[in-house]
Amino acid sequence: MGCSASLPERSSNQLGRGNSENGGGQDAKNLRVKLVLLGDSGVGKSCIVLRFVRGQFDPTSKVTVGASFLSQTIALQDSTTVKFEIWDTAGQERYASLAPLYYRGAAVAVVVYDITSLESFNKAQYWVKELQKHGSSDIVLALVGNKADLHEQREVPIQDGIEYAEKNGMFFIETSAKTADNINELFEEIAKRLPRPSTN
Amino acid sequence: MAGFCFSLPHNVEPMRDSYGFALRPQHAQSYRQYASIYKEEEGERADKWRRFLEQTVKSSQSCSSEGKLEEISKAKDSDIKEETSSGSLSEGNDFSIRKSCEGTEIEEETSAERVSEGRDLSLEKSCEGTKVEGETGAELVSEGNDLSGRKSFKGTEIGEQTNLERQREADAETKEGKEGTVPARVSEGNDSIGKKSVSDGSTASSSEKEVHYLEERKARKVQTWGEIRPSLAAVEKLMRNHVKKAKKIEVEQTNGKYDNLPSIEESEHLEVVSEDIVGEKVCTKEMLDNSINDAREGNALEDNDSPEFHSHLKELETLVQGGVPKDLRGEVWQAFVGVKTRRVESYYEDLLAQESDSGERKEQDDSSGALGKWRKQIEKDISRTFPGHPALDENGRNSLRRLLIAYARHNPSVGYCQAMNFFAGLLLLLMPEENAFWALVGIIDDYFEGYYTEQMVESQVDQLVFEELLRERFPKLVNHLDYLGVQVAWITGPWFLSIFVNMIPWESVLRVWDVLLFEGNRVMLFRTALALMDLYGPALVTTKDAGDATTLLQSLAGSTFDSSQLVFTACVSFLAVSEARLEELREKHRPSVLVVVEERSKKGRIWKDSKGLASKLHSFKHDPGSLVEEMKTNEGDGMENAGDKSQLKSHSSNLDELLHSLNVDSEVDSLPDLQEQVVWLKVELCRMLEEKRSTIIRAEELETALMEMVKQDNRRELSARVEQLEREVAELQEALADKKLQETAMLQVLIRVEQEQKVTEDARRRAEQDLAAQKYVVHMLQEKYDKAMASINEMEKRVLMAESMLEATLQYESGQSKALSPRGDRIPSPRVEIPPPKSRLLNFGLGWRERNKGKPNNEEERRESQCNERSESRTL
Repeated sequence: MGCSASLPERSSNQLGRGNSENGGGQDAKNLRVKLVLLGDSGVGKSCIVLRFVRGQFDPTSKVTVGASFLSQTIALQDSTTVKFEIWDTAGQERYASLAPLYYRGAAVAVVVYDITSLESFNKAQYWVKELQKHGSSDIVLALVGNKADLHEQREVPIQDGIEYAEKNGMFFIETSAKTADNINELFEEIAKRLPRPSTN
Repeated sequence: MAGFCFSLPHNVEPMRDSYGFALRPQHAQSYRQYASIYKEEEGERADKWRRFLEQTVKSSQSCSSEGKLEEISKAKDSDIKEETSSGSLSEGNDFSIRKSCEGTEIEEETSAERVSEGRDLSLEKSCEGTKVEGETGAELVSEGNDLSGRKSFKGTEIGEQTNLERQREADAETKEGKEGTVPARVSEGNDSIGKKSVSDGSTASSSEKEVHYLEERKARKVQTWGEIRPSLAAVEKLMRNHVKKAKKIEVEQTNGKYDNLPSIEESEHLEVVSEDIVGEKVCTKEMLDNSINDAREGNALEDNDSPEFHSHLKELETLVQGGVPKDLRGEVWQAFVGVKTRRVESYYEDLLAQESDSGERKEQDDSSGALGKWRKQIEKDISRTFPGHPALDENGRNSLRRLLIAYARHNPSVGYCQAMNFFAGLLLLLMPEENAFWALVGIIDDYFEGYYTEQMVESQVDQLVFEELLRERFPKLVNHLDYLGVQVAWITGPWFLSIFVNMIPWESVLRVWDVLLFEGNRVMLFRTALALMDLYGPALVTTKDAGDATTLLQSLAGSTFDSSQLVFTACVSFLAVSEARLEELREKHRPSVLVVVEERSKKGRIWKDSKGLASKLHSFKHDPGSLVEEMKTNEGDGMENAGDKSQLKSHSSNLDELLHSLNVDSEVDSLPDLQEQVVWLKVELCRMLEEKRSTIIRAEELETALMEMVKQDNRRELSARVEQLEREVAELQEALADKKLQETAMLQVLIRVEQEQKVTEDARRRAEQDLAAQKYVVHMLQEKYDKAMASINEMEKRVLMAESMLEATLQYESGQSKALSPRGDRIPSPRVEIPPPKSRLLNFGLGWRERNKGKPNNEEERRESQCNERSESRTL
């Protein structure tokens, strides 16, 4: 049953990936990756993206309905460029039913939680499981504890994040969109971990 | 409510539009450009609407009782005055009317208007002003109920008042007696509205009256209901058909309430019914009235103004497509959604009261339940709804919170869904709180049924439908997007879910909402999205990758400032997209969505990973206890108050709900049983078949896309080839042109050469002629020369002869002289004199001959000829 259930999923994944690879001029020097941000409502997904793409922080940002898109290109030291096509999804639980639309075919998934909310950390674990089940098999997963500037209100010990990420083969980092701490590092690290297309 | 009024443009900070919404910096420029256009359009449509309303009011007079004609037109006049006073809110208007009409007569006038806009034409005639007075009074007072004051009020006065109001509809006479008390309340209520809109109870402007009616001030906190201005009665009437339909559904469901229909309307109506036994009667009465009305409308409307009615509706549609004037919008929208028809007396306050009750007691154990979850989410989202909007101050946020929580309580199958915060916020900007609540109820329960529920089924279905429509209308665009790997739903999903709020500029959002609310369904969503694709498709097909395409579409949509173009494109170009067609497509796509949803929720139940259903079950399990508890405490109160039956009744409805939940529970408990597995396998099979089918379809799509690509490729190759050939041709042509040039040059040279040749030929011929002439001359000269020579020879011979003769003579003479020497002196002298001429002549002849020997012929000839001539002439 599980097998039969996952079969069509996989095929649709491949379709999705096939499509996304169709579209781009993928070469070894200029990568184009689809990245999706998932996580509980209000953990700061949109803020992370806005900080990364526009370098801004708006403490009174709007609720994301459905999803929103932004893209940003970064250059790495080995003179490759990576264009991130970022889908920032809505956080409310019921929007999870629309999430597959966005994470299907994504090369990177960034699961965000709020270090001041244990609940959001639990939610993050739900997302990790969901992605392991339904995401692409070679998806790069990152676990991000946001709002690191609010360390006095911390509910999730950094060790918990590290351990959970390690157990699931994820990359872990704590960030603060407010202070811009580790935001660029997050994306640079992701870029480094991307599987490079064979050069031919 | 006071916080929620349009801030005037000049109060607005630079980066906000005239509605007070934040403007993206990159759009500031284009907004400024369009602001003047908006203003102009606004002026035009204000005129059009005014004319339309005057006209419809006139025609509606014909169907209302004759006696009121004058009054209505009077009211109309005052209304027009109001309209000219810019931006004033409806409530303010009501207030000013009411305030100014202190006398009972004028109160009768306003109430008469109410009646004319009222639901029941037949009743209207029988119930004159006073009775309707009762209605407004009752309404206001009941609205005036405060959360805290409710319990004490409820049992006695309110219950009565509501009854009174209802009874009034059924029976005019009974009202008369109570009339005395009512007007006082009316004026109080009015005052409180007025103050609320002015200062929201701030001490500075509160008058003595406020001190007098301290109780009412409490009430003001929730005082939230405002009537639509009378002039829009016509619009409301026109829209009645739409709303009636919705109402009928509700009524049906109410009728079936004992059949345990698991609908939200049911619980709503149960509560309504439970309020009072009389209430129930009234409710049924109302139903009857409605059905009578329907029938009557069939007659009355068709008989009286059927052609007019339709022409008015048509005209209204055109007007709506042109946009609703700013200051009418709030009320017109209410008329469209049928706020007044939907409204159930004191329902909203009850919901809020429940909240404040439970807020105190259930805070802790409720937090894990669904309602607690929603409450938390709402709390998170309040400050993230139109952040920084001037109207969203403390009061505004409180209104928003109350509204959303009340809705969550009203319809637990939706509860709270992100996006609703924006809708509620928008509605609150345009109308009083309770009106906004009913409008939200209309939109979410009716227009967007199944959209914002836990599984969001209809939303997903609509995306599939939209994709099919798009594929139908713009195959090339979709092919291109397929090729780039862009799924349309990524972008349009958020458009639909937010009904374009935050997706396109505000003016456009409002214009789309105008039409959407008028039409009473989601057709406008599709039309608008198609129009956007129509407008921006050409730009989209030039994009090279998924990211660019998405960014472009997002930003282009965000800059759709030409709201009129958008709405007209939507309504004209995509007129064929009708509700019937959409429904057909929805039917087609729904099963596939349901299968996926089913699968998801199954997994959730089995693995308990997804908290979605698990938490639902949790809340079901939790609710019974808390509900029973609540019921007990309420029962205690109920003993004291006669009207608390309503509470009991409402709990009976909760119990019904509970029963459902228990049913669901048992269903879940028996999950691993065989039948379930069979069903599950069947579903699985269906799903796989569906998957297979969709995969096949997808494969076909891809194939066609591939074909298209190949074709495009071929085309590209061919075009490249053609280009190359063309280039060659061009080169050749150039060469040809060169050659031609050369040729002409050559020709010219040739011509010149020919001419020269001719010239030389001529010259030659002339020369030849000359030569011939000369030859002839030479010949002649030769002849002459020969002759001359011959004559010279002759002459020489003669000379020789003469010489020899001379010698002989000389010898003879010398011989003779020797012989005759003495005599010879005299004779020789004359003889010596004679010889010199002869020798001179001889010398000349010899010398000339010698001289001529070394010289050229010509010269010789010439000279010779000359000499000859001379000599000849001499010889001759």
